[in-house]
Amino acid sequence: MTNHFIDMTNADVVMICGSNAAENHPIAMRWIRKTRERGAVVICVDPRYTRTAAFADVYCKLRSGTDIAFVNGMINYALQNDRIHREYVRQYTNASFLISPNYDFQNGLFSGYDAAKRSYDRSLWQYELDGDGIPKRDMTLEHPRCVFQLMKKFYERYDLETSCRITGAPMEDYRRTCEIFTSTWAPDRVGTWLYAMGTTQHTHGTQNIRSYSTLQLLLGNVGMAGGGVNALRGESNVQGSTDMGLLFNVLPGYLKAPAKGMESLQQYLDDATPKSKDPLSANWWQNYPKYIVSLLKAYWGEHATPANDFAYSHLPKTSGNHSFISLFEAMHAGKMRGLFCFGQNPAVGGPNSGKEREALGKLEWLVCVDLFETDTSVFWKRPGTDPSGIATEVFLLPAAASMEKEGSVVSSGRWVQWRYKAVDPPEEARTDSRIVSDLVRRMKEAYKAGGTFPDPILHLTWDYGDEPEPDIHRVAKEMNGRFLRDAVVNEKEFKAGQQVPGFAVLTSDGSTSCGSWIYAGSYTDAGNMSARRNKEDAPNGLGLYPKWAWCWPVNRRILYNRASCDPSGRPWDPKRWVIRWNPQLAEGKGGWEGDVPDGPWPPEAKLPFIMRPEGLACLFANSLVDGPFPEHYEPLESPVRNLMSGQRCSPVIKIWEPDKIGDSSRYPIVATTYRVSEHWQAGAMTRNTPWLVELVPDVFVELSTDLAKRKGIRNGDWVLVETARGSMRARALVTQRFEPFLIDGQLVDQIGIPWHWGFAGLATGDSANLLTPHVGDANTMIPEYKAFLCSLRKSGEVA
Amino acid sequence: MAMKAMLIDAMRCIGCRGCQVACKTWNGRKAEKTEFFSGPGYQNPGDLSAETLTLITYNEVQVNGRFDWVFGKKQCMHCNTPACAAACPVGALKKLESGPVIYQKHRCIGCRYCMLACPFEIPRFEYDSANPYITKCTMCADRLETGGVPACSKVCPTGAIAFGDRDEMIREAQHRINQNPSGYYHEIYGLEEAGGTCVLHISNVPFDKLGHRTDVPKHAVNKDTEQAMEAIPIVMLGLAALLGGIYMLRTRTVHHESDAPRADG
Ligand code: SF4
Ligand code: SF4
Ligand code: SF4
Ligand code: SF4
Repeated sequence: MTNHFIDMTNADVVMICGSNAAENHPIAMRWIRKTRERGAVVICVDPRYTRTAAFADVYCKLRSGTDIAFVNGMINYALQNDRIHREYVRQYTNASFLISPNYDFQNGLFSGYDAAKRSYDRSLWQYELDGDGIPKRDMTLEHPRCVFQLMKKFYERYDLETSCRITGAPMEDYRRTCEIFTSTWAPDRVGTWLYAMGTTQHTHGTQNIRSYSTLQLLLGNVGMAGGGVNALRGESNVQGSTDMGLLFNVLPGYLKAPAKGMESLQQYLDDATPKSKDPLSANWWQNYPKYIVSLLKAYWGEHATPANDFAYSHLPKTSGNHSFISLFEAMHAGKMRGLFCFGQNPAVGGPNSGKEREALGKLEWLVCVDLFETDTSVFWKRPGTDPSGIATEVFLLPAAASMEKEGSVVSSGRWVQWRYKAVDPPEEARTDSRIVSDLVRRMKEAYKAGGTFPDPILHLTWDYGDEPEPDIHRVAKEMNGRFLRDAVVNEKEFKAGQQVPGFAVLTSDGSTSCGSWIYAGSYTDAGNMSARRNKEDAPNGLGLYPKWAWCWPVNRRILYNRASCDPSGRPWDPKRWVIRWNPQLAEGKGGWEGDVPDGPWPPEAKLPFIMRPEGLACLFANSLVDGPFPEHYEPLESPVRNLMSGQRCSPVIKIWEPDKIGDSSRYPIVATTYRVSEHWQAGAMTRNTPWLVELVPDVFVELSTDLAKRKGIRNGDWVLVETARGSMRARALVTQRFEPFLIDGQLVDQIGIPWHWGFAGLATGDSANLLTPHVGDANTMIPEYKAFLCSLRKSGEVA
Repeated sequence: MAMKAMLIDAMRCIGCRGCQVACKTWNGRKAEKTEFFSGPGYQNPGDLSAETLTLITYNEVQVNGRFDWVFGKKQCMHCNTPACAAACPVGALKKLESGPVIYQKHRCIGCRYCMLACPFEIPRFEYDSANPYITKCTMCADRLETGGVPACSKVCPTGAIAFGDRDEMIREAQHRINQNPSGYYHEIYGLEEAGGTCVLHISNVPFDKLGHRTDVPKHAVNKDTEQAMEAIPIVMLGLAALLGGIYMLRTRTVHHESDAPRADG
């Protein structure tokens, strides 16, 4: 999130689109409820009338997979009706930047497309630079090749009618949605945009988010209290795990995982460190070398020296895309030997899970670490399988639950909140960190006797005390970082052993170590900041609670907050000021007050978006592989043609199984998957909890009364859902909360299936992921769980 | 202690059922065996029962010509003049000054007059047990004793179950309606029903749409024991022998529990 949960109380309009917050993030509704009772309008955009829709003031439906058409229409509405915060757009975005004439867009394709490679040459989407290498700007926003004019041209194709024809949104509801949300263009009105996996789990998931960001920037809602683009993360502490480098392509603190070919630290840094010639740009990532060297020092301590490139060669190099689907494809092809599953249950949660269950059988060994026997851990005895044909050796290690261990949990709002241990784990259950630690210690022991390339293991710092249970405080302190020797940084003296007070003092010369630069400041010599529980608010009274826990980076509660002020440092909205420049502070030198600002410089000294080399937010950017603007494409499987262009689905997505794509003649119904409040993810915890099983015992399919009538299905009937990948049985929940869509004059049905069930545990049922395809977003490879094609029919009773 | 009340606001409820689970957790009630759903929408179980003291209902309705989905919460209303207590021949049910209508199980003889007397059809009987008791929501009287709030109220993420002095809760309900007169239905369910109750409901739809009984008179329905007995259908009288047996059993139980009488179910 750019903002945080409590900040939702500051919003005038709350847009919940791609999220079913009431069911999956119920606690968010506490804050949304408060702002609604203050007079704010809550809008819910969803294919189905959810418990969130029930709570909202305005509900507008859309067909799954058409977010971009929906939001681009809103963007066009804002542009055409001049409902944008013009000063903000001019000053704080790249709207005024001139784009190279090489950029073009025709019939659904941007310039630079290579059909053979299915990829773009992004170097065609560049800024035009002046003689000093600084992008050229036209502050009148009139130049035909400035971003603003290119945007107008790009988005004008998305008029209200077109957006409704694609999405199936009823015109009246859609117009109302556009009008209410864009009312926040006024500097003293603000809207927040909440999204979750309904947004991301598409072949164009990243561009979905970009469309939201674009609209929020045009309205001047980024950096503001009650504004921002806010991802409600899908699991408790998934924010913390991504911060720690959960994904294959990042190291802790979102540093890039080095790729094959980047053989020296310098090569890596040349690729990773952005450059800017604009003196007004803070270009914060220019500090990249300090963060990576401090990380390498945290990993390999005294063995990381300037002479050996700080042991950079110890870091594994990615040799391609190793995201979830790729891993399982490799596993299925017999290219992987072993797998650790910590609290993960791919036999239920993975797309095309039938294939993934097969893939598990090709491993030599599998380790599952969980609270219960998961479907994954017993994949070898799933129904219809002969265990004698599976050679995989499976280990199931009992894990300690979150209440049975101490440590930090990071919320979607980036708040690092320390938790104490409430009870001991039962029997032999152990904390994840203990399990990992035991493994590391034994590996170190084994490598002492020799082995291939032993140094990265032998020299790995493992300094968490002498007990078998690692001292989690030492881990947290390592994440914060410390001085390894006496040093003077920014004219301040530090002693060896001192915790770093913040990332501004990290160095690239090896005098500091830091396990995750964005956590610098979380556990200083003053103590564990994330354990703080002070309920005093900041002077601006926005619910920042700066001394409650700790928030990365540097306890900044609202990101991009320099953009909440005009260029002279005066808040756009004085009633809800996040930060403001006070010339009286610092003995007349002036200073910021309120939230921790995005950098200490006076207002005019630096541009507000300090993480961008431009210093400004990008309405046009060449960082995504599938285009500088978000364009509507249909999902991989869709019942209709793309009304915007001849390009049916995104031209750059990787299609693993071309023979497993369903056709609408055979599979005419749009399907989506989701969760319910009563169950959790792949169900290991909740399907084994009787109280929750009582509430939702069986897998079910939600379908409209209309479709049910046509198919002769009554509420509670067993139905069979089929796709090109597989089939499943479920109970039919016939409801008015789903309605067919009118797409360009054609009636399109949609159904929805919660995906929590599997064959293990107390409550069992078919997994919805038996149906979903092995295809992912062009940028992130997140699977397209949210829109695919199926057929549906009544089925007999099942035993 | 001033009289307490719960204020349940359907406009705030998101139907998450944290309350339903918290109630079972705190009161040690078992999960019921269910299949698919047992009522409209996601409702489960089908009704209140000996194991289920509170229940969220899922109601697909039309409000001002538009479709809506609203959630109701069923539980004991904690009547100010509880018909159940008036009907109880042995004083096993008792209204506390602080609001809750509590059940003293050691006194109960299992006659089930309370079930017949209650205008809201709340008390349930443990038919499946060898030593059956009456069960119903206790307003978590045991939690209130130590200054806590009801478990369901504590757990509710949206503040849909407010808890406080009854006067204050009535003012709060009125305030919310006044703040949003076009949103709320202009009545407080429980203000006068059955002579007033310590559970108050407000909503954006008429209360019958949430599954609440709207035929309850707006005055105390004080059936005494005899009247309650008259209301017992003839078939049930056949159980008299069984009741006698339970009474025997209970007197033994009382003997055991008398050193530590508990004010719960
Ligand atoms: S609702 Fe029924 S059980 Fe509850 S106090 Fe009133 S009469 Fe008694
Ligand atoms: S069953 Fe009979 S004795 Fe027991 S509480 Fe009800 S009315 Fe009283
Ligand atoms: S007040 Fe207590 S007993 Fe009554 S419904 Fe709530 S949690 Fe259950
Ligand atoms: S916990 Fe609150 S919001 Fe959830 S169902 Fe119960 S009353 Fe409604």
